[in-house]
Amino acid sequence: MAEDVKNAEEETVEEQKPKSKDEVRVAVIACERSVNLEGELDQTKLNGVDNCDVIQVPCSGMIQPRMIESAFKSGADGVIAMGCQIGDCHFREGNKFCRERLLGLRPPMIKKTVPKNRLQGFWMSEVQVDEFKDRIEEFKSHVANELVKEAAED
Amino acid sequence: MLTNIVRGGQKVILRLEDILNKIFSSEQNILYYHGAMPNFFMWMLFLSGLLLFAYYTPTLEAAYQSVEYITKKLPYGDVIRGIHRYAADAMYLTVVLHAIRVYFTDRYREYRIIAWYSGIALSLFMLVIGISGYILVWDQRSLTIVNKFAEFLAALPFIGETLSHGFINGDIISNYTMSMSFFLHTGTSFALLILLWVHYMRISRPVVNVTWAIGSLLAGLVLVIAGAVPALSGEEANFNAMLPSIPIMDVDWFYLWLFPLIDLVGNYGAWAALIVGLVVVTLLPNFVKSEDSEPASVNKDSCVGCRLCSIDCPYEAIYMAPRNDGSKYKELAVVINDRCAECGLCVGACNFDAIELPTYRSTQVMDDIRIALQD
Ligand code: HEM
Ligand code: SF4
Ligand code: SF4
Repeated sequence: MAEDVKNAEEETVEEQKPKSKDEVRVAVIACERSVNLEGELDQTKLNGVDNCDVIQVPCSGMIQPRMIESAFKSGADGVIAMGCQIGDCHFREGNKFCRERLLGLRPPMIKKTVPKNRLQGFWMSEVQVDEFKDRIEEFKSHVANELVKEAAED
Repeated sequence: MLTNIVRGGQKVILRLEDILNKIFSSEQNILYYHGAMPNFFMWMLFLSGLLLFAYYTPTLEAAYQSVEYITKKLPYGDVIRGIHRYAADAMYLTVVLHAIRVYFTDRYREYRIIAWYSGIALSLFMLVIGISGYILVWDQRSLTIVNKFAEFLAALPFIGETLSHGFINGDIISNYTMSMSFFLHTGTSFALLILLWVHYMRISRPVVNVTWAIGSLLAGLVLVIAGAVPALSGEEANFNAMLPSIPIMDVDWFYLWLFPLIDLVGNYGAWAALIVGLVVVTLLPNFVKSEDSEPASVNKDSCVGCRLCSIDCPYEAIYMAPRNDGSKYKELAVVINDRCAECGLCVGACNFDAIELPTYRSTQVMDDIRIALQD
């Protein structure tokens, strides 16, 4: 198996006081064929949701662990990898592989330094736009809670 | 217009699948097994067919009686016959669903073209199996089928007579005709396996099996229908009282629709409809303009030959070539451009930035993430 020789640098996260739900920053790395975001994006900003950026790729199977790491490093508090519903993938197996990577079952592995509690997979189809926005709001609350817990542990 | 209809169809399919996911979980969603279901029914057909084969006699004198024996005397013979009949219908039904699914979700052209063309051939082969199967019973319907199908074949210019003669297997209906039908039925069934091999040629890890739960459900359904509506023969074939057409209630609409069609529009009309239909489905992939292709490309200097990309590629577009260019690594990933779907699964699998989609490199994705999060 490939050794993970690259990018061994440690990240240093400095949190002062935990962010509120509204301040939480979320990055969504999304398959362009899953939730249809035509007309829902202002550049990368998701309309109607605070602090949520969406970066679209051809398939969730293209999402590399390094992309997720880079999103956290660039200041995201929570990261979502999004593909179509499991069982349906335009490229047959992309979302399945992405999900397995998120679960740590498929190489390349996601680094231990990535806060897994603030990383989630969303598996939704083109037609589930409203559901997607609701789940983002839920996710933001979840991330805010996790940040409070983490601050308490330090 | 066409694209709007297709997109609308895709939305309906996705909504339906979402509902089933919520009820049964995606693991047990039968709609996700649209290719595996016909496969399942095919194995049911091979198994039940094997049992029927043991007692069936393909001669004019004995065929009808041997089927009667199977149905009325052999323990569970009626059930086996019913399974064979209804699994066949179920197979055609699910094949049609499968074809509709791949068409409306736009999964039938370009690098999937082999699957599309072989699928068309598969459905034609299934028609041949179905029509010849109904001849084997040798009741009045069988006789009508032989006659009408022979006339239908003969109507074709140039080769029609030869085809018709070959199908009857002589100048008149005889035991040779039965042998031919028996051969067409079983031989074409085995040919399905070869065609399926072609069908899966470009697909890595095709989903060919349903889950145990779905398999039990499908088998149970067939069994219940076989019990409720037994598959029976009509009157034994009688040359002196031949029916001019198949009575409407005796038409199996999955396999025998050709015959009411012939009654309606004549042999030439039916040929015309069949040929136009075939040409249209064959040309469907050409009705959509394909975008310029920019397949994945490998950077020789970064590739360490770990194979992960070739394992993950869903369309068998990457092979590992031995390398002798002085690199310390033994193998190099090579993309077969025509097969590449430009999906990026190989990019997701590579830990060394060695394989990229030229239209959207992973470094560009990382930059875009950084820029998005900056402000
Ligand atoms: C005996 C009948 C058939 C069987 C058992 C069958 C089975 C399958 C299976 C198991 C797959 C792989 C699905 C996956 O894992 O993604 C597949 C793919 C495919 N089939 Fe069929 N099929 C049949 C007939 C047809 C017909 C009639 C058509 C259309 C004319 C068709 C078109 C396709 C296409 C285009 C694909 C590729 C889909 C993709 O790459 O996503 N098949 N088939
Ligand atoms: S995953 Fe990357 S390094 Fe491994 S064989 Fe493929 S291109 Fe080469
Ligand atoms: S982009 Fe990569 S994984 Fe996808 S088909 Fe092409 S070579 Fe295979």
